[in-house]
Amino acid sequence: MNAATGTRGRPTAEAIRSVTEGLRLTCGDRVATGQAIRDQHGHGEGLADGALPDVVVFPQSNDEVAAVVRLCAAARMPVIAFGVGTSLEGHVAALYGGVCIDLSQMNRVLEVHAEDLDCRVQAGVTREQLNAELKGTGLFFPIDPGANATLGGMASTRASGTNAVRYGTMRENVLGLTVVTADGRIVHTGGRARKSSAGYDLTRLFVGAEGTLGVITEVAVRLYGIPEAISAAVCQFPDLKSAVDSVIVAMQLGVPVARIELLDAVQMDASIRYSRLDGFAAKPTLFFEFHGTEASVREQAETIESITGDHGGSAFRWTSSPEERSKLWKARHNAYYAALALAPGSQAFATDACVPISRLADCVMETQADIDATGLIAPILGHVGDGNFHLVIVFDPARPGDREKAEGLAARASLRAIAMGGTCTGEHGIGVHKLDALVVEHGEAVSLMQAVKRALDPLDIMNPGKTVPHAGPVAGRP
Amino acid sequence: MTAAAIDALQDAVRAAASGGGRLRIRGSGSKDFYGGALEGDVLDTRALRGIVAYAPTELVVTARAGTQLAEIEDELARHGQMLAFEPPRHGPGATLGGVVACGFSGPRRAAAGAVRDFVLGVRIVDGTGEALAFGGQVIKNVAGFDVSRLMAGALGTLGVLTEISLKCVPLPRVERTRAIDCDAADAIRRCNEWGGRPLPISATCHVAGRLWVRLSGAGPAVSAAAVEIGGADADDAAPWRAIRDQTHPFFAPAVTGPVPLWRLSVRSTAPCDDLGCDTLVEWGGALRWLVPRAPVEASRLRAWAAAHGGHATLYRAQDKSPGVFQPLAPAMAGLHERLKRTFDPHGILNHGRLYPAF
Ligand SMILES: Cc1cc2nc3c(=O)[nH]c(=O)nc-3n(C[C@H](O)[C@H](O)[C@H](O)COP(=O)(O)OP(=O)(O)OC[C@H]3O[C@@H](n4cnc5c(N)ncnc54)[C@H](O)[C@@H]3O)c2cc1C
Repeated sequence: MNAATGTRGRPTAEAIRSVTEGLRLTCGDRVATGQAIRDQHGHGEGLADGALPDVVVFPQSNDEVAAVVRLCAAARMPVIAFGVGTSLEGHVAALYGGVCIDLSQMNRVLEVHAEDLDCRVQAGVTREQLNAELKGTGLFFPIDPGANATLGGMASTRASGTNAVRYGTMRENVLGLTVVTADGRIVHTGGRARKSSAGYDLTRLFVGAEGTLGVITEVAVRLYGIPEAISAAVCQFPDLKSAVDSVIVAMQLGVPVARIELLDAVQMDASIRYSRLDGFAAKPTLFFEFHGTEASVREQAETIESITGDHGGSAFRWTSSPEERSKLWKARHNAYYAALALAPGSQAFATDACVPISRLADCVMETQADIDATGLIAPILGHVGDGNFHLVIVFDPARPGDREKAEGLAARASLRAIAMGGTCTGEHGIGVHKLDALVVEHGEAVSLMQAVKRALDPLDIMNPGKTVPHAGPVAGRP
Repeated sequence: MTAAAIDALQDAVRAAASGGGRLRIRGSGSKDFYGGALEGDVLDTRALRGIVAYAPTELVVTARAGTQLAEIEDELARHGQMLAFEPPRHGPGATLGGVVACGFSGPRRAAAGAVRDFVLGVRIVDGTGEALAFGGQVIKNVAGFDVSRLMAGALGTLGVLTEISLKCVPLPRVERTRAIDCDAADAIRRCNEWGGRPLPISATCHVAGRLWVRLSGAGPAVSAAAVEIGGADADDAAPWRAIRDQTHPFFAPAVTGPVPLWRLSVRSTAPCDDLGCDTLVEWGGALRWLVPRAPVEASRLRAWAAAHGGHATLYRAQDKSPGVFQPLAPAMAGLHERLKRTFDPHGILNHGRLYPAF
């Protein structure tokens, strides 16, 4: 148990006061205890319920982060790393209070190695900032979770998003990290040589650890040449199954489409209104984007158009101008807010099932039937090329029983995916909301994950209560 | 049969755990040459054999760890697919578990990704004898810690791999190798220049004054690229398999003779300094194989590799006293030891194979 929090209550006023004093000595006036700032750092996106940290600190260097963590370790005070708070599963909620480390002032691009196709950035750099700073190099960083998240946050949630079919996820694209461990030491994983590391691949362990094993302060990532040719197309379908089946065939043929996004009829309706998409019908729709040389883009597009045609899809509607394309993807990225706008005053949260491609159609169709049975508004959308799709479940917090109904639907979506050989989370992560599903999915293996947590964070101060359930030691394990 | 084999394996681990024994995990032994000390009784994985699940339309194959790579790759090829990381075999009996544990990737690595990038899930028996599953069969999974990828390259020190799920990819429709005569510096410069462009390069290798470039993909793209990169067609002489398995004459002094073989993983733009070694360059410059012409100080190679962002491994050697792997910084070493204790609290599995301390 945590000394500063007693039986996992919040830290005592005395502990907070003394840690805050220490933080001020380290970070000067970059320490905030005001209600508004704590409010803002107590929750991510998704469900509104959060929990406030006691203090928010804005370090500017690796050494400052290390000093903050050492202070917290000495006081057994929880440490919650914070990027920009776009995570969806309660990841940043300060369940046991403590110190929130906001990395937004660690926002420098440290090195760009155009010839090596990689770069190293501080954890607080956002993906849009990185791409803006890469302008002129002919390179870009492709991982795009929609939200303008930080590289540290994206690494910590192992984010993927719309480009994963072609470029992979953070898992494949992080080359190395600088991490402040739970005892306040600075370690470097991976290296500039991007092909392998010496010893255990600790990069892969910190990527996706949701801040529970250490604070990432620097991230080295792969970059890619901006494709010679990019074009996007939209195709609409008479029914959901035809759209999903088209994707399955495309993936099985191995067509290297950069993005394939599904929006069901409800979502299209919402997006047409919210993002003013003209000339589209409220029907199940696929957004495609092709990257490559002029020749390969044409070839990919022809292959895909013949597949969609076979499944009753409309002729492709092309958007090759960058403005039109960005409008389209902006609409996709705003899908969540578009869904929320369907019912003013409502709240929403997303599910994140990912299943083997061959089960995708079954999973989507069963889920559709489940949504219909609940009577909730819950558009289906997602990066179906990886077998991953989301429901944005909209509910009215004021209506009795609505939230329970929504949570039931979400839980069934997770269980359905697990039962089909998939996972409850393809990209959003576990946070707090999916701890139960993790146990269903991984069974006994969870106890080893808990042991890993204890090994790397014996005081349980790093984002406690997230990613793996709390548990005492198991016989036979340290 | 497999259930019995896994039971037997768990029993062996439990017996070692309670009796203070040590186990040396082994498939066919094709990679016995690799890594540090071989300590303890052999724990043979070859009873864990067979493809468990392979639906070609799924692009995922699940096989038991003792299955021969040849069996898996033949089955994939029958369905027009392959393992994209082009696993080195180093012997006809090479097993899947061995290549994943060693973290070996072949010529296609720079273009397609490393073995760990294709591991979707594993089953292991840890050092307490517990059978556990991590990850799964889907392409994306962020549920909990990424333990399955930690197993790739851990050299069996964290658990006995019993089953592995890998992502596979369609075979390229067309494959063509070009040969360009040039020196190593020129080869590295060219490869790095090509690297930022959307060319279908799937492998590069420079050895003995010649740069070999493999192009893989759709016909028109490969033809266009062949013209663009220049050189001449050299499909018949293509060295890819020989490089993958180190049967190429370059490796002979180390494979059949007493000369050490160093593997340097560095930035792809690292220069071609004279380190007193014959050099074979792969992965667009990021991988340098070194065969010393006369004895070379390990510390010199390690310092050079570190200065170029990487590390040096004593890949094959009769005398491993310089240490096989680049030593870890103290804080990193501490994390390694804690992880080792977590997975294998009694220090049974492949003791000394990765680092002497554990
Ligand atoms: C509209 C919308 C759409 C989205 N779509 C997608 C999508 O398509 N795909 C996808 O993958 N995600 C998606 N997300 C989720 C979200 O963008 C990601 O989870 C993102 O990666 C989080 O980054 P962040 O900087 O906001 O991190 P935060 O939310 O601040 O933190 C996320 C987690 O990482 C930890 N953390 C943050 N920074 C660090 C650090 N430096 N070191 C250690 N731990 C740290 C935090 O403690 C927390 O546990 C979406 C979110 C929204 C709001």
